[in-house]
Amino acid sequence: MKDMELIEELLNCYIDGELDERKSNELKRLIDNDSQIQGLYDSLRRYKNLMDAAGQTAAPEHLCDSITARLEREILLADTGTYSLKAGRRHLTIRRLMTAAAVIALAAVLSIIVFDIFVPKSSRQQLLSGTLRKKAVKQVLYERPFAETKQQEDKKIVPEKSYDVPLVAVLKLKTNNPIEVDWFVAKVLTTTNLFNRTTSIDRQPGTVRYVINCGNQSVVNLVQELSFIWPQCVSTKIDVGTEQAGKYITVNNISAEQAIEICKTENFSQRSRMANDLAVINKFTSPAVVDRLYAAADIDYESLIAQKPALTSTEKTQNASQPQDNIKNATLTIIVTSD
Amino acid sequence: MVKFIQEQLKNSGANISIDEASLLVQAKAGNMEAVERLILKYQDRVYNTILKICGNRDDAAELTQDAFVKVIQNLKNFKGQSSFYTWLFRIAVNATLNFCKKNSRISFQPLQSEPDEALKKQLKDYLIDKTSPQPPQIAAAKELQSLILKALEKLDADQRAVIVLRDIEQMNYTEIAETLGIEIGTVKSRIARGRKNLREILEGVIQ
Repeated sequence: MKDMELIEELLNCYIDGELDERKSNELKRLIDNDSQIQGLYDSLRRYKNLMDAAGQTAAPEHLCDSITARLEREILLADTGTYSLKAGRRHLTIRRLMTAAAVIALAAVLSIIVFDIFVPKSSRQQLLSGTLRKKAVKQVLYERPFAETKQQEDKKIVPEKSYDVPLVAVLKLKTNNPIEVDWFVAKVLTTTNLFNRTTSIDRQPGTVRYVINCGNQSVVNLVQELSFIWPQCVSTKIDVGTEQAGKYITVNNISAEQAIEICKTENFSQRSRMANDLAVINKFTSPAVVDRLYAAADIDYESLIAQKPALTSTEKTQNASQPQDNIKNATLTIIVTSD
Repeated sequence: MVKFIQEQLKNSGANISIDEASLLVQAKAGNMEAVERLILKYQDRVYNTILKICGNRDDAAELTQDAFVKVIQNLKNFKGQSSFYTWLFRIAVNATLNFCKKNSRISFQPLQSEPDEALKKQLKDYLIDKTSPQPPQIAAAKELQSLILKALEKLDADQRAVIVLRDIEQMNYTEIAETLGIEIGTVKSRIARGRKNLREILEGVIQ
C-alpha cells in the first residue's frame, strides 16, 4: 500500500516533469512493464489534462481601477494623519473640550447680561453681600420625605429663680381679756382644722403661745378668722421672719387686714418689702388714726363681737378652707398676752 | 491611463516583455504608472488563482484587491530574495487560505445541481472508458468547468491550493514550496493526495 502511494507520488512528479532524467527513465520502464501502473498513469494524465483545460477566468474589468483608487485613498489618509486613530482621538477630545469651554463662557456672559438687565442697581449690593456672607448650610446627609420643618422658636427668657423663705411670723396680741381671746383663738384653730397642726401650746401665767405649722393659705384663713378679736386687743404686733434666722421685721400696730396681706404675699421679697413698708407707715400712724380709718370703713366693733356665737359653733364655717399641705411650710406663732 | 495600458498589453500579445525590475524600482519610488503596470500584469493570474481556491467571484475580487494593496504598500520592504511573482502569490494565496479557513462553513457547499446525463457520459467516457473526446473539447463546456470548480471546493484547502498552483497556475514544485512556505516533499505528497481525492470526487459524481 505504501509502495503504491510512493509510486503514485512518483507518477505525479513524472507527469509534472519534476523527476530528473535517471528517475524518469526508471519510471518509464516501470510503466511500460506493469499494466496496473500503466493504467494509473493514464488515469492521472487524463485528470491532469482535465484540470489543465479547466480554463482561466479573467479578472473583473475595473479591478485595477479599484486597486489604484483604494491605494490613493489609503496613501492620502496615511499622509494627512488626521484619521489615524490616536491623532483622531486627540483631535476629537480637544475639539470637545474647546466646545465645552465655549459653552460655559457663553453661559457666563449671558448670566451677567441677564443680571445687569433684571436686577435693580439698589439691590445688587445687598444681593451680592447677602450671597457672599451667607454661611454654608450644614450638609444634610439624608432627608426624610414630607418631614415637617421645625419652626424656629423664640428664645424664652427664664427669670432667675429667686430664692424663697417660708413664712415665719410671730403675731403678738396684747389684750385685757386674755381668757376670752385665748378661748377664741383655740376655737378658731379648731374650726379651721389647724389644731392638729399646732405643734406647741405654751401656757404661762398671763401668756399663751401657739405655734402652728401649716401652709400659707391656711395661715391666711386663720388670720382672717382671727380678725374678729382685733378689737379686743390693746396692741397688735407682727414679727415677719427674714432670711437670717432669728432676725425679724417688726410691724407694730398691725391691723388684721395688714396681717392678712402680709400672709398672702407670694414670695419672701414681696413679703419683706411689704413688712418694711407697713412698719414705717404704722410707726407714724397713731392708733387713733387707725380707729378713724376703721370708723370710716364703718366697722361696727359690737357687731363684730356679737358674731362670736357664730364662731362658737362646733361646725366648720363654710368659708373655712381646708388646711392644705402646701409645699411651702409656714410657721405662725400667736402670742396672746395680758402684759 | 489604465485603459490605455490595458489596450497596449492586449495589442502586444501575451508574450509582451516588460522589464519587471525597472517597474519595481519605479513603483517603489511612488510612480503610480509603474504600479498600474504591475497590477495589470498579474491581476488576471492572481484573481484566477484566488477564485479557484475560494470559489466565489466577489470574494476573489476583494481578496485580489487586498493582496495588491498589501503588496504595493509593502513594496519598500521587498528585498528581492524571491521573484516578485512568487512574493505576490505568497501574499495572495496565504490571505486566501486564511479567508477560506475562517469561512470554511460558509464557503464549502455540496454540489447543488446534478450534472446532466450527457455531461456525465462524456466525462465518464473520458475518465474511465478512455474512448475520449479531447480534453479541451470537454472542458470547453461551462458546465464541466463549474463541476471541476465545485469538485475542487470539496478538497482540503491546503491540497486545493497546491493543485491550483500546479495545474492551473502551472507553477513548478519549487515555486509552490516557496509560495506556500512549505517543503518540496510536502508539495509532492499534497499533490498526490489532492489528485487522488479529486478523482474520487469526480468518479462519485459521474457514477
